[in-house]
Amino acid sequence: MKIASRVALLAILGGLGFWLWTAFFPNPEKIVLGRVSSLAATATINAGDGAITRATKVSNFIGYFSPDAVISYDVTGFGARSLSGLDEIRETAAGGFAGVSSLKVQFQDATARVSPDKQSAEVSCTVRVSAGDSKEFGIQELRLQFKKIAGDWLITRAETVKTLQ
Amino acid sequence: MVQDTNQSSGKPDWRQIILIGRRPEATLVRIVVLVAVCVVTFKFILLPIRVEGISMEPTYHDRRVNCINRLAYWRHEPRRGDVVAIRYSDPGPLAKPSQMLLKRIIALPGESVSFHDGQAYINGRLLEEPYVKNGCDWDHAPIRCGPDQYYVVGDNRSMPFDYHMQGRAERQHIIGKVLL
Repeated sequence: MKIASRVALLAILGGLGFWLWTAFFPNPEKIVLGRVSSLAATATINAGDGAITRATKVSNFIGYFSPDAVISYDVTGFGARSLSGLDEIRETAAGGFAGVSSLKVQFQDATARVSPDKQSAEVSCTVRVSAGDSKEFGIQELRLQFKKIAGDWLITRAETVKTLQ
Repeated sequence: MVQDTNQSSGKPDWRQIILIGRRPEATLVRIVVLVAVCVVTFKFILLPIRVEGISMEPTYHDRRVNCINRLAYWRHEPRRGDVVAIRYSDPGPLAKPSQMLLKRIIALPGESVSFHDGQAYINGRLLEEPYVKNGCDWDHAPIRCGPDQYYVVGDNRSMPFDYHMQGRAERQHIIGKVLL
C-alpha cells in the first residue's frame, strides 16, 4: 500500500512538474498557436466597442504583422485581393473595423509546423468570419507564415487556400 | 422492535435495484463500457454534424442534425452520387474538423464536368440528377478532375454559378459519407 501511494504521489509530482515546465518554457508551436488565438481575439469587434477601442484594436492587429507582410485572399462572392505592407493592411483593417457593427473571427483546427532552425513557422487553420448577428462572410482555409523577428513571432504572409479547386 | 424485511432476508432494496442493479460492480462495468463505446463511436467513427446553409436543399435542410460515417470509404473509394463531408484545414489524423463542407460527388477522378443550360455533363454525357429540384441556367466549360480529385457540388443550384461553392476536392479532404 505504501509503495502504491508513493508511486501515485511520484506520478502526480511528475505531471505537475511537466505542466509547470511547459507553462514556463512553452515550445515554439505553442507560442505560435497562442499568437493565432490572440489574433482572433484582437480581430473580433463587439457591438458595444467605441471608436477608441476599435482604433486600439487596429493598432494591436497591425502588431501581429511584419513590415513587409502580405495578405492574400480569395473569397467566393467577394473576389481575390492582396494587401502588401503595414500601411495597406492598417488602412484596410481600419476601414473594416469601422464599417461593421460587430465582427467575430475564429481560427479553428489550427496546426503549426515549425522549421528545424525554429526561426519560422507555418500555421494551417480554418477561419470563420461573421459580421453582425447574421451576416456570414464565410469559412476559408487559411495559411499563415510566421517569422521570428527580434524575438517576436510575426506574420509575414497570410493567404486563403481554396479547399475546392 | 421493527426490522426491515429486505435487510432481514438479505435482498437489496427495490430502489437500489432500479438505480444500480442487483450487482453494482457489474452495473459499473456496463456503464464504463457504454461510455467508452459512445466516446469512440461519436468522436472517431460517426461524427455528429449540424447542417448550416442552403447549398444542399432540398435534400438536407438548414440546421438539420446528421452524422458523418468516417468508415464509409474504408473498403471502397467514394462513388458518384454520394453526399460527403469535406474538411478545410487538417486538424490531425483522428481529430474531428470543426467545419466541413457537405456536397455531392458528381464526377470521379479523371472525369471531366461541364454544365450546359443548368444540366451537368460528365465526359460529355448528360448526368441524371433526380435530387436537383431547383432548376438553374449554369453554363461552364469542362473541368477535368485530377487522378485524386472528385468534383463536388450542392443540390441547390438556384444561385449563380460563381456564388455556389463547388469544385474539385482532393481525396484526402473527404472525411466520410453522410449517414442519413
